[in-house]
Amino acid sequence: MRWIRPLSARTEESAETVGAKAHGLVALHRLGLPVPAAFVVTTEACRAFLRAGCLPDGLDEELATALGDLEAATGRRFGAARTPLAVSVRSGASVSMPGMMNTILNLGLTAEAAAGLAAETGDARFALSSRLRFLSTFAAAMTGTDLDGMPTGTSAEDEQARLATAIEAVQQLVRRRCGRAIPDDAARQVELAVETVFSSWDTPRARTYRELHDIPHDLGTAVIVQAMVFGNRDDRSGTGVAFSRDPNTGENAPFGDVLFGHQGEDVVSGRSLTRPLRELADREPAVWTALIDALRRVEGHYRDACYVEFTFQAGELWLLQVRPGRFAGGAAVRVATDLADERMITRHEALLRVSVQHLRYVRTPRLAASAKADILARGVGACPGVAVGRVATTTDAAVRMAADGPVILLRPETSPHDMRGLAAATGIVTARGGPASHAAVVARAMGKPAVVGVNGLVVDDASWAAGERTFGEGTLITIDGTSGEVALGSPRLTTGTAGAQLRRLLAWADDVSGDHSERAEIQRLSAAHAALRRA
Amino acid sequence: MTENDLLVLHALRCVGWSGIARVAATTGLDEPTVESELIDLAVAGLVTRSPGVFGAWGMTDAGRVADAERITHELESAGARPAVTAEYERFLVLNPELLDLCTAWQLRPIDGVMTVNDHSDPSYDARVLGRFSALDQRAAVVCAELSAALPRLGRYRPRLYEALDRAASGELDYVADNLGSYHTVWAELHEDLLATLGIPR
Repeated sequence: MRWIRPLSARTEESAETVGAKAHGLVALHRLGLPVPAAFVVTTEACRAFLRAGCLPDGLDEELATALGDLEAATGRRFGAARTPLAVSVRSGASVSMPGMMNTILNLGLTAEAAAGLAAETGDARFALSSRLRFLSTFAAAMTGTDLDGMPTGTSAEDEQARLATAIEAVQQLVRRRCGRAIPDDAARQVELAVETVFSSWDTPRARTYRELHDIPHDLGTAVIVQAMVFGNRDDRSGTGVAFSRDPNTGENAPFGDVLFGHQGEDVVSGRSLTRPLRELADREPAVWTALIDALRRVEGHYRDACYVEFTFQAGELWLLQVRPGRFAGGAAVRVATDLADERMITRHEALLRVSVQHLRYVRTPRLAASAKADILARGVGACPGVAVGRVATTTDAAVRMAADGPVILLRPETSPHDMRGLAAATGIVTARGGPASHAAVVARAMGKPAVVGVNGLVVDDASWAAGERTFGEGTLITIDGTSGEVALGSPRLTTGTAGAQLRRLLAWADDVSGDHSERAEIQRLSAAHAALRRA
Repeated sequence: MTENDLLVLHALRCVGWSGIARVAATTGLDEPTVESELIDLAVAGLVTRSPGVFGAWGMTDAGRVADAERITHELESAGARPAVTAEYERFLVLNPELLDLCTAWQLRPIDGVMTVNDHSDPSYDARVLGRFSALDQRAAVVCAELSAALPRLGRYRPRLYEALDRAASGELDYVADNLGSYHTVWAELHEDLLATLGIPR
């Protein structure tokens, strides 16, 4: 085939041709890990589309053939009324960027196929909510807007009636906004989805991102079409994200979020109540064991801490994405020295993996363990560091109060609407969401201490409650973005726990540079980098 | 109610608790007029002033109800709902790009680590501002349509233009930092569109 490559352990193409995500999936295949059957439409097809303004000749036949292969691999039929095959369609450029279409889930669930899925599983609610997810993600892709405004149906007493109403509302929204309906034909859906991904390469937002980050406009994106696994299938299903090591501290312990009974995008959006990854060990021990084994194997392959996205369906684990973890600050130092100690990388490689920028963030303060701190609540540390400030419960209040001293923004969750408050705040606390939620990502991007997923935290208009106690706006609190603790007042702090690893790393640096004189840490590391790059 | 008192009341709906200067900036009215309107609105029980050194004006529950009624009436009597809805949807496409640009203005990746932009690299700043201008040209089309549909919404365009103009001539806090900044005015417009269309956050 000219425009399409099946994804398997034998796929030889470069990340430039198949995109970074597909390249990661090939690595997972080679490690013998479970990956749902998939194929990729190449970046070359995207470039042909961008030149001509339409899908290249022959691609439609290739799509039909490749979907036939997915049918053969899964024993299901695409768009059929009996044992229907559903697929996800994802963009996958060699570099990821905002503004591009991200993911369409459950594609192929036409009205007829959804009815077939309901009959097959005996679970009409599951089939309808899967179809709604397909239509919502497709609508978001076609209209270029976030899911925020998508109809979810009003809370009818009957769940199925609610889903049916929401399905109708999404279809109406697309007809009105796009002047055409979402086709109820699976083959046409997949062509339109591929076209939509390709077009999204050139959205103004994506172009802006590329301009800002020196990414050439002519790379194009690949498209991954993959057999669906359903995290919303039953109560032994779910989805999650996992780091092989703790991205806050670098500690060699798996870290992440799991969401039982849901599909992928719910974890990343931070809108749903995720659970700490550890809970998987109790609820689905076989999935946990398989996941830990997978994390060990991907670390061995990338020779680095890694990040994976996974789904489990009826107690069976599937991996959907992998990439190196890209840790910062003290976590980067810890991972580099630990990996060298584990003989996974050399000491020289360890030195090269820690940038001077990382050193600037190493000495992260913590709440002193001995301090008689009044701990109000605990959540997940999402960005290390301690912040002390007065509580603001809205973005407006945060901006207003920040003029008068440091502010901690305390929210049920955050959305892009809270950027102003996030920027004004010194620290961030959210009741919902996990380490990949919007608040966590933004906080890390801004280097602001953050605690997310604080159970028992209730945020009202100008008051908030932790456990049994209620407080007003303006209360002075301290948050520790490493441990996830939220304390009343300003208890005593301590500095830096990466000290031991950092001392060792810098001793290696001096060995490389041959200079053992007293100097600043950054100079010691820079001298080693210079010596290694000369060598 | 007069035209001005709705402007003042609705400003508090869009920007939250604020001082007279901010309401004046938002409404385009002068400060004595704003203060006089606020006092009348307070007598009517629609707004209130929080005590203290950082005292600010804000809406009462009754004010919120009255504002929603009058804003909806204004929208429906002008028959502007379809047009404002359509432009709001266009605004939603631009909004994430604006947030990307604000982020790029505040932070830039150095060696893979997001680092505070200290504005010591004029070429980087110029590149970001250049993209702001490109976005602004597309936003101008939306603003013009909004203004045609509902004249009250016409006040955002000059404020956005002014913010970018001042940023380009070196007043860097007019991008995302101060209360007249592009980002602040943009967020007010966003809130105003939600309030006008009665869409909950």
